[in-house]
Amino acid sequence: MAKARDIPGLDARMPFAEAAAATVAVRAEELFEQSENVLDITDIERVHDMRVASRRLRAVLEIYAPCFPMDEFKPILREVKALADALGARRDPDVLLDQLAKLEATLPKANLPGVEAFAAPVHDEQARGNEILAAALDHAERTDLRGRLALLATRAVAPEEPEEVVVEALVVEEPADQEVVAVEDVVAADPVTTVVHTTALANGSDPTGDGAGA
Amino acid sequence: MKARKVRGLEPEGTLADNAERIVRVRLDELQSFIPRALDPTEVVALHDMRIAAKRLRYVLEVTAETCFGPYAETALKRTKDLQDLLGEIHDCDVQLPRVLERLEELRAADARTARMRAPANADDLDPRFATRTANARAWRGLETLAVYLQARRELLYQRFLEMWTRLERDGFRARLQYAASERVGGVNSVTGPSQDGNRDARRVAIASPAALR
Repeated sequence: MAKARDIPGLDARMPFAEAAAATVAVRAEELFEQSENVLDITDIERVHDMRVASRRLRAVLEIYAPCFPMDEFKPILREVKALADALGARRDPDVLLDQLAKLEATLPKANLPGVEAFAAPVHDEQARGNEILAAALDHAERTDLRGRLALLATRAVAPEEPEEVVVEALVVEEPADQEVVAVEDVVAADPVTTVVHTTALANGSDPTGDGAGA
Repeated sequence: MKARKVRGLEPEGTLADNAERIVRVRLDELQSFIPRALDPTEVVALHDMRIAAKRLRYVLEVTAETCFGPYAETALKRTKDLQDLLGEIHDCDVQLPRVLERLEELRAADARTARMRAPANADDLDPRFATRTANARAWRGLETLAVYLQARRELLYQRFLEMWTRLERDGFRARLQYAASERVGGVNSVTGPSQDGNRDARRVAIASPAALR
């Protein structure tokens, strides 16, 4: 299991909102970095790593929930939960089949038909789980969940920053159907979030960073 | 299980003070399953306690090292161990009924076979028709699997009781509450550091606003 990456600059005395921005940005990147070959059922560790990353992301979203605009936060949290559930639909049968394989190696041969009888429907579940996961990954790709998470990270509310009004103005001026906004556009238009955003972009520029985990 | 709401979180407040509030609520949530979870038949309480342990673990993963006194990191390990053990117990609770269900399916199929072997006008069933059925060998393995899961569950539950007793004896709850009120890199020392804090000079205990409320 991949260790969680350190959050650069995280400090006990920093504002909660700033910590939210930095942490969500890193955990979101970690999730998508683990998505490679996740549908390969011959290597069950891939889906395990991505599931762990999804749990970590979901956890930090829930911890830092009060820092984000609810209208943007809630649908994204729902989608992250749905993706985590899809990963679980694949992972649960993976784990059970792995346990059964270990049992088969331990038990006398006379017991093997029973273990196999139990494993047969679990294989079907694994195949169904893979289909569910494939659909969830496709949905995440089509809806640019990664980009929206990166954007959400920049939206952490930081009341002590100046020009809070600018944030409100920015929200009002957005076209109703413009759900996905380029991160760079937001930085340019929104000085309030520029500080935390710079951190997020710096993290994004080093997606293979290997900071020791927490 | 729906998580308890954490009141009073302030985006403009410090990470540590907000995290302390969350830890206190999650710790209470975990504790709330005692004494129910001390009854081995309370399957739902044990499962919910695992979820509560998971929530506490995740907030500690994010904040223990950065924000709190050293015992918080020990508490993180203890919480993970607790969550893992409760997870293993839950696996048994989920798998055993599935094994028994599969056993029942195969037994019912073999019973149908035995019934079909009997002549249509038979007054009674010859016991020999119930032998050498298609799934007879599978039953044996499934029975073994069921026995294994039941025994494993009992053993793991015993380990859980021991683990929880140890946590209580070691003052897990009080020590984590205290550690959550300590601050890494604090300036004003209002109270002394916990015993565990002696090994790390960077950690200075201060009374946090959340602890004073």
